[in-house]
Amino acid sequence: MMLQRGIEEKTFFLNLGPQHPSTHGVLRVVLEMDGEFIVNSEPDIGYGHRAHEKMAELKTYPQFYPNMGRVDYLHALAYNQCYCMAVEKLLGLAVPERAEFIRVITSELNRLTSHLLWFGAYLMDLGAFTPFLYCFDDREIILDILDRLTGSRLTYCFYRFGGVPADIDDEFISATRGFVQRLRSRWDDYHNLVTKNVIFIERTRDVGIITEAQAIQYGLTGPTLRGSGIPYDIRKSEPYSAYPLFDFIIPTGERGDILDRYMVRLLEMEQSLRIIEQALDKLPTGPIMAEKVPKRLKPAEGEVYTAVETARGEFGIYIVSKGDVKPYRTKLRVPSFANLSILSEIIQETLVADTVAILGSLDVVIPEIDR
Amino acid sequence: MLADTIKKSLTALNLEKVADGDYAKTGYHLEVAAQPDQMPAVAQLFLDQKCYLESLTAVDLVESFLLVYHFASFFELCRTVVHVPLAKGTRMPSITGSYKGADWYEREVYDMFGIGFSGHPNLKRILLPEDADFHPLLKDFVGGK
Amino acid sequence: MEAKTGEPLVQLAVLEDVLNLCRANSLWPITFGLACCAIEMMAAGASRFDLDRFGAGVFRPSPRQSDLMIVAGTITKKMAPAVVRLYEQMPAPKWVIAMGNCAISGGPFYYEGQYAIVPGADLIIPVDVYVPGCPPRPEGLIEGILSLEEKIMQRPRLRKFR
Repeated sequence: MMLQRGIEEKTFFLNLGPQHPSTHGVLRVVLEMDGEFIVNSEPDIGYGHRAHEKMAELKTYPQFYPNMGRVDYLHALAYNQCYCMAVEKLLGLAVPERAEFIRVITSELNRLTSHLLWFGAYLMDLGAFTPFLYCFDDREIILDILDRLTGSRLTYCFYRFGGVPADIDDEFISATRGFVQRLRSRWDDYHNLVTKNVIFIERTRDVGIITEAQAIQYGLTGPTLRGSGIPYDIRKSEPYSAYPLFDFIIPTGERGDILDRYMVRLLEMEQSLRIIEQALDKLPTGPIMAEKVPKRLKPAEGEVYTAVETARGEFGIYIVSKGDVKPYRTKLRVPSFANLSILSEIIQETLVADTVAILGSLDVVIPEIDR
Repeated sequence: MLADTIKKSLTALNLEKVADGDYAKTGYHLEVAAQPDQMPAVAQLFLDQKCYLESLTAVDLVESFLLVYHFASFFELCRTVVHVPLAKGTRMPSITGSYKGADWYEREVYDMFGIGFSGHPNLKRILLPEDADFHPLLKDFVGGK
Repeated sequence: MEAKTGEPLVQLAVLEDVLNLCRANSLWPITFGLACCAIEMMAAGASRFDLDRFGAGVFRPSPRQSDLMIVAGTITKKMAPAVVRLYEQMPAPKWVIAMGNCAISGGPFYYEGQYAIVPGADLIIPVDVYVPGCPPRPEGLIEGILSLEEKIMQRPRLRKFR
């Protein structure tokens, strides 16, 4: 509709992307601009479409599993966990407690890497280069810990249907505890560098406000939603795995602007540290794999929907099984798809510089949108 | 309980099936079946109950389609699935009048399955290039070279 | 006059060696992360694996100002024309590193009947160095950049840790 209008004298069209330093992947936003103000916009996605859902129909359950790490590579372990939970539900497998604890610890460590990377990349979008180096420094420590356990730095494929394949040892536990102490001591640095920075506050306060009504209309989830004051987190609302055993709060914002979403993510990082500490303190002994996992996975006929809370919001898998070794239909409900769809509404009448700030604050990963 | 409130309001619409789901097995609290032309009213009802559209997708059952809508709530745990059977070659009413977020979901279903949505403001392809001439998630699509 | 990409029209023997040394030690990549490998490319540019010590840490957003394209990620059919256009916009001499399995041959997404991706960057643009991995470690990318430097200078680096 907008792209086919004739040339108007007052407004002009500008392409933001698909190659642009701040589009977090290959996203193209066609902006209709009046000077520096956005009159109309339309995101154009699909530049990262790699046919995950078609591959799911052509591969067996274990063969499709490596794809899950590539859907959203920044919090890949949560996606692994959701897929394992969905298939375990279809098969009726119960996961042993120690395996659930290991899943929670590694998934929360991965959430920290995702939020740290968002923090660094977002500030780079806004023009500040130093926080990027600080947070990649912290991130590398987590990546070393997880690399030693899982073998990968980024696109994990670690959990198995029924548990986890490798156990954590004392070195993992002491390294993680050391890291928790270290990151706690860095909060002051981050707040002094960024949160109290006048330029940052000017660029983010009262910019990109999302209301509760808009959130319900578009189905937003994750920190994008919690910045607007709605305390919805799947780990608390629909608890799964070992999360009911841990004590943590859900930080929310008040105004729904970028600054609130930023604070929500920083406070969530502290909550993740609390969860990791509690999990390490209460770690039970026992097996790490369920006892009778069938060699050839043939779930019963039926359908299942499982959701987890990732760093970006609610990730859900909908699997329809016809009793075969391959699923009949797999739908990946990704949080960034809904989160990005609100973009054209909230960047109306803003400046281009604000557009970049708002887009970054939604924390989208384009390959997950395009699947 | 949100599930009871939803069930009570759905009875007014005379739907084929409004039943409790087996949460432990499927993850649903309510299972609903509806006809295509009843869907906009069902969607408006869920919006009035402050539920959000969790997911909108389709399944190709070779002889027909099955559209699957998932609704959930931020405020109380209650997931509803709405199954809508659709004959091949017919169009589906759009629910963008209620949920603006359904815009992109319906475009994706059109892109992947070729299902048209009547009343959609901007129905064009979203993931594939605009000049693509196939719908990949159909069961008889085996792919390019 | 034959205009071949990467080959200068006027050949000056010793000056070419000096110029190649300069080009190799100050490769400016274009910010072109497509998918997961982009994160490892960013990690290679960060402080632990530091690309800046090789002169290659200045990532330029504009293709007109860069001479190295690191194709990091899967090239989809929708993105392919943009990749070719960006490559053509880069001024010569220019080089391409295909980073990750997707850019080499389609990676984990290649299957019989894949309709959405271009299985390999070398199907659309000429590639100089291939860095395998899914994703390759930042050390792997650094090895790729050092191999490219050897290719540009047409002689091995002074210190080789093989």
